[in-house]
Amino acid sequence: MSTIDFTRELAVVEGRPPLREIDDIISKPLETRPDKKYYIALSITLTMLGIGAIALLLSFYYGTGLWGNNNPVGWGLPIVNFVFWVGIGHAGTLISAILFLLRQRWRNGIARFAEGMTIFAVMTAGIFPLIHVGRPWLAGYLLPYPNQHSIWVNFTSPLLWDVFAVSTYFTVSFVFWYVGLIPDFATLRDRTTNKIKKVIYSVTSLGWRHSNRHWQHYEMVYLILAGFATPLVLSVHTIVSFDFAVSIIPGWHTTIFPPYFVAGAVFSGFAMVQNVLIFIRKIFNYEHIITLDTLERMNKIMLLTGSLVGYAYAMEFFIAWYSGVQPEQFAFLNRAFGPYAWAYWIMVSCNVLFPQLFWIKKIRRHIPVMFVIAVLINVGMWFERFVITVTSLSRDYLPSSWAYYKPTLVDGAILLGSFGFFFTFLLLFTKTLPVVSIAEVKAVVEGSQPSHGEH
Amino acid sequence: MTPDKTDLKEHYWKSIKEYYKDPEVLQAKLNEFAKGVTDEFSVDKLNGLSRRRFIALLSASAALAATACSDYRDKGEIIPYTNRPEGVLPGKPDYYSSFVNDKSVLIKVREGRPINIVGNPDHPVYKGKLDAQTPATLLNLYDPERLKEPTKDKLKIDWAKADAEIIDALTKAAADGKEIALIGDRITSPSVMKLFADFKKKYSTARVYSYKQISDENKRIAWDQCFGTRNIPSVKLNNANVILAIESDFLGREGNTIEKTRMFAESRDIINNGKMSRLYAAEGSMSLTGMNADYRLRIRSDYHHNFILSLINELIGKGMTANADKELRDMVSSFPLDDFVKRHGLDALKISYLVKDLLNDPSGSIVLGGESLPVEVHTAINLLNNLLGNDNLFDYSSVELDHQPLSTDKELDEFIERSLSGEVGVIINFGVNPVYHLPSSLGIEKVFSEVNTTISIVESDNETSALSNYVLPSSHALESWGDNFTRSNIYELQQPVISPIFNTRQKEAVLLSWINGISEAYSDDAFKEYLMDVFEENVFITQNPAVDFKSYWYNSLHNGFAHIKSGRLQPGTFKFNPVRKTTNADDYDYVLHLTPNYFIGDGRYANNGWLQEMPHPVSKISWDNYAAVSPSSAKKLGVENDDLVKIKTASSFLEIPVFIQPGMADGQISIELGYGRTVIGDVGKNSGFNAAVLQESLSSVLIAGVTLEKSSGSYKLVSTQEHHSLDDDSVKDFHKMRHIIQEGTFKKYKEDPGFLHEEKHKLKGITREHKYEGLKWGMSIDLNKCISCGSCVSACNVENNIPVVGKDQVELGREMHWIRIDRYYSGTPDEPEVSNQPMLCQHCDNAPCENVCPVNATNHSPDGLNQMAYNRCVGTRYCANNCPYKVRRFNFYNFRDHFADAYYQNELSYLANNPEVTVRSRGVMEKCTFCVQRIMDAREEAIREGREIKGSDVVTACQSVCPGNAIVFGDINDPESEVSKYRTHELGYHVLEELYVKPNVTYIAKLRNTHAEEA
Repeated sequence: MSTIDFTRELAVVEGRPPLREIDDIISKPLETRPDKKYYIALSITLTMLGIGAIALLLSFYYGTGLWGNNNPVGWGLPIVNFVFWVGIGHAGTLISAILFLLRQRWRNGIARFAEGMTIFAVMTAGIFPLIHVGRPWLAGYLLPYPNQHSIWVNFTSPLLWDVFAVSTYFTVSFVFWYVGLIPDFATLRDRTTNKIKKVIYSVTSLGWRHSNRHWQHYEMVYLILAGFATPLVLSVHTIVSFDFAVSIIPGWHTTIFPPYFVAGAVFSGFAMVQNVLIFIRKIFNYEHIITLDTLERMNKIMLLTGSLVGYAYAMEFFIAWYSGVQPEQFAFLNRAFGPYAWAYWIMVSCNVLFPQLFWIKKIRRHIPVMFVIAVLINVGMWFERFVITVTSLSRDYLPSSWAYYKPTLVDGAILLGSFGFFFTFLLLFTKTLPVVSIAEVKAVVEGSQPSHGEH
Repeated sequence: MTPDKTDLKEHYWKSIKEYYKDPEVLQAKLNEFAKGVTDEFSVDKLNGLSRRRFIALLSASAALAATACSDYRDKGEIIPYTNRPEGVLPGKPDYYSSFVNDKSVLIKVREGRPINIVGNPDHPVYKGKLDAQTPATLLNLYDPERLKEPTKDKLKIDWAKADAEIIDALTKAAADGKEIALIGDRITSPSVMKLFADFKKKYSTARVYSYKQISDENKRIAWDQCFGTRNIPSVKLNNANVILAIESDFLGREGNTIEKTRMFAESRDIINNGKMSRLYAAEGSMSLTGMNADYRLRIRSDYHHNFILSLINELIGKGMTANADKELRDMVSSFPLDDFVKRHGLDALKISYLVKDLLNDPSGSIVLGGESLPVEVHTAINLLNNLLGNDNLFDYSSVELDHQPLSTDKELDEFIERSLSGEVGVIINFGVNPVYHLPSSLGIEKVFSEVNTTISIVESDNETSALSNYVLPSSHALESWGDNFTRSNIYELQQPVISPIFNTRQKEAVLLSWINGISEAYSDDAFKEYLMDVFEENVFITQNPAVDFKSYWYNSLHNGFAHIKSGRLQPGTFKFNPVRKTTNADDYDYVLHLTPNYFIGDGRYANNGWLQEMPHPVSKISWDNYAAVSPSSAKKLGVENDDLVKIKTASSFLEIPVFIQPGMADGQISIELGYGRTVIGDVGKNSGFNAAVLQESLSSVLIAGVTLEKSSGSYKLVSTQEHHSLDDDSVKDFHKMRHIIQEGTFKKYKEDPGFLHEEKHKLKGITREHKYEGLKWGMSIDLNKCISCGSCVSACNVENNIPVVGKDQVELGREMHWIRIDRYYSGTPDEPEVSNQPMLCQHCDNAPCENVCPVNATNHSPDGLNQMAYNRCVGTRYCANNCPYKVRRFNFYNFRDHFADAYYQNELSYLANNPEVTVRSRGVMEKCTFCVQRIMDAREEAIREGREIKGSDVVTACQSVCPGNAIVFGDINDPESEVSKYRTHELGYHVLEELYVKPNVTYIAKLRNTHAEEA
């Protein structure tokens, strides 16, 4: 029987590519002209974005009446989309900050990309609170600024907390991302021969010289920022969940929401990152940098968070029954067996049942299967937000005011547009910035660090 | 020059020039500041346009501009109120009494424009209360599609020319011996009576036809047969202990519903009187009255005849023989009640209660018959009332007068025949719409192409005017003079409150000018003089008051009516009238029951958006009519809601969507009239189906022997409430389970007054709560007095500028009503029990909407109002989500612009807006304000008078019209106030009180006056 040596660290990057090769391969997309496929992809995402933009313009011109919202269901798809995109935006900072603090070196290959997705997802999410209001041109009222009316914002409203939480999260994520990019900008500056690029990279690299001192400061700033971002990962979705938990509507008024929302956000975020990375590693030949091991680890996290989410679903039912409050009990029975049962069972099967397949190692390492499961997870997580937002509102306390909510085409177009917005940014990102951190990957190439394992 | 080496040691150099000791640099080093900067400042020395000079010039020109404004002259046409018209105070409304929709009202007028129609508190019958229709008729005055000019064959013509031509035609027709047909509504006005008589005098061939699509004519005929008079005494319902309504919707749409509702509510005023009448409703269609019944007997509408005779038989058999002679006994002996009960599967227990109650208190029991019943059923009802000996419940001092019988079916038939054979020269449509109302089998359309001169004097285009040569625009009721004499003790007067907005004339004045025969002689005052003469003759002389005529006239105008000392109008003695044996109703599979709509009536208000959008009191459907059938009938037929069905009579058919109405009698189809207008404004277009096509004659509204079959396709009916199927156990009886409607029985209450609060926990807040000292507003709604008529909804619409959203938006659940009537069923689909509840903003102390608004747009006032700052609202809709009562309403669109291509967004319709209430725009949340504008008005009044405002100073719009007096508003911190009495009453409760939002609307629990303790 062979014994396993647990003291040996597993290689993060497969093979032993020379550091020069890493520079080459990662900066290659930035140095080559986009090919036809890229333009096709971009035109698809821009079309989606355009459809969304037209739908939004129509909504601004005619009013929110173009959506499916009605009297009991004041919040429909825009809020569902908002929570969904904020959730997607969770994986990036979790990977780059929390896993960094936990010294999970396998994150190095995917951190940059995941962070980029975070930024774009939060940008996408940030659109929705602004456009979902009845009078978007007055959305500035949500900011606390001194005015001659002496009207201050209402600090007891969770929607206001949202404004702060999301904008803080965006700012910190962005700074964190940018700091991480500085050494790579310097590398690119040194490599490029194009004058314009040189100027841009010189400015953005902030005079980085790869000096020992620079690295020392850099590591410290990165560590501090990671520490700073970590609580934000948890707080953003906690506060988003307060939008629901602070209300008095059965099915919303639940103390389990903060952890449940965070788990769900990580769940969907990882699924989205995994989906996109599967393409990236294939297209840009990063298979040895973003390895199958990394993907498997991500699948394990999905398995964990998926189970947490499943636990939360069960616990909601238990507490509703245990509380003895009739409207509460009905709210959950109504989710599972009421008019929105179809949405509920899509949610349960996609979020709880399919991810359980990740217990099987073969599936964890089978790329097409894991891709499909992750897609289903995102479908399921979108429906989770739909179920929470819509079912509770459509049938709350007074049966006289129950109504069925049906999204309209315009609602759908805006959702499509949000995907277009997100993927357009993602595509531009792959051609303008290194999608894998050059510096960090170099650090985890076998033999790059002094070690005593092999000598 | 070489640098000094020693210097170098001591000095650093900054530039090459300095290194070489350039004298220029050395000189510059001596001056810290550049040349000129430190020189003494002088404006004169400044060049061109310096900063200071610029500012100086700017301020000078601003000052100049400001002073120049004093000589400002506007060239536009602004007419300031410098010479204030007498009696008009800007911002202060005036109230004028008049009548509208045949109801005595006060009209609120601001700066010369009517903005609201409220009740007339001095009126002895209405007592300041109104129905749902009347306030909303304001919108008809400002309907942009009203007729504006007279036309002849669709071309504009001026009045003088039209009058001259018509007078010629009339004179010619009279000379040729051709009939002049004057078709009008039921005559209630003595001056119109006289006018018609004068018209006949002038044009000898004139004949008057009057018709009403649904009327109490059958009842009057039966009364005439029994008592020898067509004048029916009113009923003192408030004194009745047992009321049996036979297909009679006396609370909803038959006769004087306002008075009957008030009296009915009075008979069930537990808080003030401690007593409760018992209402039995025997009906086949589910009506508003049926919803309010303690016992509802589901009897198909064509069985009532046998039902009443069986009941009489039973009562006689049980010893009620005082008024029963041999003839009656013989007649009813073949109608055993047990057989009837068994045959129609009725609840024997309920029937036995009814018999027992009638036997126990015959003189306190009254039987009311519905307008749709045939004459013989009314005769049977008269027999039953006579048997009970309840004469004391009839009010012979206030009799419902009848000036002239309606035209009979035969008369109308003959008129049409004569027209077709060329014997009619002129037809004058006097403000009605016979082409739409009369059954199409009569073929009245043909008449209009046959007769040479056809004239319609109408407010807006209708099916009849479309076929007329002359269409003369008639003035709205608010622009007209008139009188009304429908009750023997009151003579009502109508006065215009605004001069005609368009080139219209009131139809009576038009007729008067034709009587005068000189087209140029028209004067706006002529009919007023005529009216005064009639009043002097009929009222002043007979009443002989102690004042001169002018003061008496002005006084009556001011009050809106004159009291008539008529004394007791005792009818003749009861004549036994053997009831004709009717065909056996069981032979028919289906009976069709036609009724008017609660809000648009016989179609006259079909172009009124407010009334079209009122949810039906029972089904909550708006904008359409439908064929209501029972759940069993629907199952038998295999139809669902919205499926189209085909209803066939011998001569015609109608395709109409079906609606499964719990509580309908099996085999009965009920359809409301007034829908399916074809020539109408944009509002009423495409709304509903015209069921009048199924009538053989105008008097047949209960049509036995129709066939009903499933048709293909469906038609979307929209309602303001979801139709939860009653048999879905998962959502059944939620209103009781959740204590939304708390109920009990009168019996239980008498035994245990505190029963409602026995199982309740005392709730405690954990936060420091705001203390409300001083006045705090609150409302109470007595569910025993509320009959869910919808008057409050209508009054609120008018008061608070509620927009019309249209059918498509109602379908999406976006109706904007600030107060709504929630309707809940319990029991079985066949025999449902109904609970109704007006629901409006509860102005909670711990309002859940307030803490979630991110911009503080909704907040609390010190006197306990939950306020909305529309300007601050950005429309997150979070407040509406968090409202457990779901009373907040969001402007998903700019509804005024969105509805029917901005139908109500025009200069004219804007005038209907209440200037005291903000017109909300798109993207803003709104909800009930407790009529804050009325509160502020009362507060200003109190300040002006130098006193504290009292709770009783304010009457909300919903409260002011409520015919049942179910709504009370006032200061809940004042223990003496009326509202406090309700708030602290043992039957008072709050909806969803366990949420501890501390609402300020108290509901009085609904009690059912049943025999059992459990409802």
